[in-house]
Amino acid sequence: MLKKYFSQLETSLKTKLESKTTARRKFVYEVARIGSRIFDEKWSIGWTTVFVPYEILNSMSVSGMFVEFFGAMLAGTGMAQKYLDLSESKGYSTDSCSYHRTIIGAAMDGLLPEPDVLIGASIPCNGGVKALKRIGEMFNKEVFILNIPIEATPKSVDYLTEQFEQMIEYVENETGRKLDYGKLKQSIRYNNQAREYLIEVNDLCKNVPSPANSNDLKNFIIYLLIQGTKECVEVAKLYRDEFKFKVDNNISGLKEEKYRLLWIQNRIQFKTDLLNILEEKYGANIVIDELNHIWWEPMDEDNPLRSLANRIITHPIVGPVDRRLEVITQLAQDYKIDGAVNPAHWGCRQSAGARVLFKDALQKIGIPLIHLDVDCVDERNYAPGQVVTRMEAFLEMLSNY
Amino acid sequence: MGNLSLGANYLKEEFIKLKNALEKHASIVIKDEDIKNSIEVFNQSRLIYNQLNSLRMDEPPSISGTDLMKLTTDFFITEPKIWNEKTKGILEKIKLDSKDVAKNNNLRILLSGSPLHEIDFISFIEDIGLSVVYEDLCTGSKLFDLVIKDSPDLLASLSEAYLNRTPCARMMQINERADQIYKTAAKFKVDGIIHHSLKFCDTYLYDVPTLKKILNEKGLSVLFIESDGGLGDINRMRTRIEAFSEILKS
Repeated sequence: MLKKYFSQLETSLKTKLESKTTARRKFVYEVARIGSRIFDEKWSIGWTTVFVPYEILNSMSVSGMFVEFFGAMLAGTGMAQKYLDLSESKGYSTDSCSYHRTIIGAAMDGLLPEPDVLIGASIPCNGGVKALKRIGEMFNKEVFILNIPIEATPKSVDYLTEQFEQMIEYVENETGRKLDYGKLKQSIRYNNQAREYLIEVNDLCKNVPSPANSNDLKNFIIYLLIQGTKECVEVAKLYRDEFKFKVDNNISGLKEEKYRLLWIQNRIQFKTDLLNILEEKYGANIVIDELNHIWWEPMDEDNPLRSLANRIITHPIVGPVDRRLEVITQLAQDYKIDGAVNPAHWGCRQSAGARVLFKDALQKIGIPLIHLDVDCVDERNYAPGQVVTRMEAFLEMLSNY
Repeated sequence: MGNLSLGANYLKEEFIKLKNALEKHASIVIKDEDIKNSIEVFNQSRLIYNQLNSLRMDEPPSISGTDLMKLTTDFFITEPKIWNEKTKGILEKIKLDSKDVAKNNNLRILLSGSPLHEIDFISFIEDIGLSVVYEDLCTGSKLFDLVIKDSPDLLASLSEAYLNRTPCARMMQINERADQIYKTAAKFKVDGIIHHSLKFCDTYLYDVPTLKKILNEKGLSVLFIESDGGLGDINRMRTRIEAFSEILKS
């Protein structure tokens, strides 16, 4: 079923791209190709958590898929509920993250192809690693765990770099595939090129009005799967060209942009009318997602593992929450936002745990924040009327600010 | 001391940072001798606790779970040397009085799960008519399940010991954890296991289905309960624990 889904998605997007190329189509197309690749025998399959370095895996012909993406995809296609019911029936608590409960249920139901490797990173959360462990038990496979230090020091970068070396050995042992260092260096070059374009993309969105609408860069964090590839550079360049054209020609992402919003952490993955209502009725535009922020410096292709280690450790979501608050505050100022939205995803420590601190930090610079208290994957608990009403009240408050 | 594993070496570096931070904060110098003496005191604490805890292998236990939990909770807030003296005294007294312990046929329970500091939680279980003979909790018996080896590099000894101790759910080795619970259950002649998780405690909640399955396969009955760490939901928990007791007795 999954193979068919990705194959159909890939085919339909390819056709649409041939009739008209847009950055968003190209992005989703490349992600669909990653999905199809997990059924391609020329590749080994890796199930991972979100911050595992795909540059390394791709250089070993291991096609990775992070479990949170899968959970999001199942929610987006309306299939999550079945797998949530299944995992809950087996004793998984409804207080834990539904991204993970969905993927565990999907694995129980035989939806996931058997992985060759399982790699979990300790950030952003232990839940992801635990979910991988449960999946590993189903396939009788061990999980390789990357312990991500919370501070970027030479020693911590050494520590993570050595773990990457162990990870490479683990992948070699499990798949028989060797790391192609030439490919890895090339992936760093591609990453650096894409990074430049993505910085430009984000800078263009600082324009008032933004050239992007709320959907253009939705879930862009999934680009992690294609990071370090030629395709990632193509996607990044397309976005840059598209947005530059729009800015140069005064074309706004929305017909009339009245409110500029910052979205914290994850988007709501299942289909809702929320964004349409915000955009069409209120002119409210999500001009920046916290997770789309480019936080890392250009990497050194002659020291790829160390560079990748440094990139992960310096992610704002790692370590003390102050790092994250600093970034969120800066984004709020740089993108001239009117308000911030925190979905406060149910069971998510990063999203819910720091909620008071998000609000306080933004309040200090005069930016209101609303916590939606939604489950981003489990639509059974979603009350659309309530959420829309709260957002309407929030936007009304912004108009008086 | 052989070569430290990668993780233990990194943890040692973190301990050095901690030591430096404590020195700066308290304006003191922590010498190797100070660490050595401290390890000796804490090893003594572990020895005394484990001797006391072994009295729960008696049938019936010569000390209740409630009383031992009081001592464990005291350990967090008492100067260790003072705790050692007091607890040694309690141990000596119990050894003398053990034949005076009233006979009972209470079911013997191993309590596993999220850290707890609520003594009332243990006494609540024991008031129902069960004997808590071991706490597989980071704030219970497991706290004292540690061996610090003497070596020229004491911070390395500490890092190895803490990294390699019997895993709690924070670590990912569920099979090793289940195995240790099983061995402890056998040693303490446990009739059943109550696995308690704090609400939203991901590290424990994600493990529940697998842990239950492994322990069931080893012939152990497991009751899973959740709470907010207090006794707010006391009646619901009472009903479930009483039902569990009935199952164990049948």
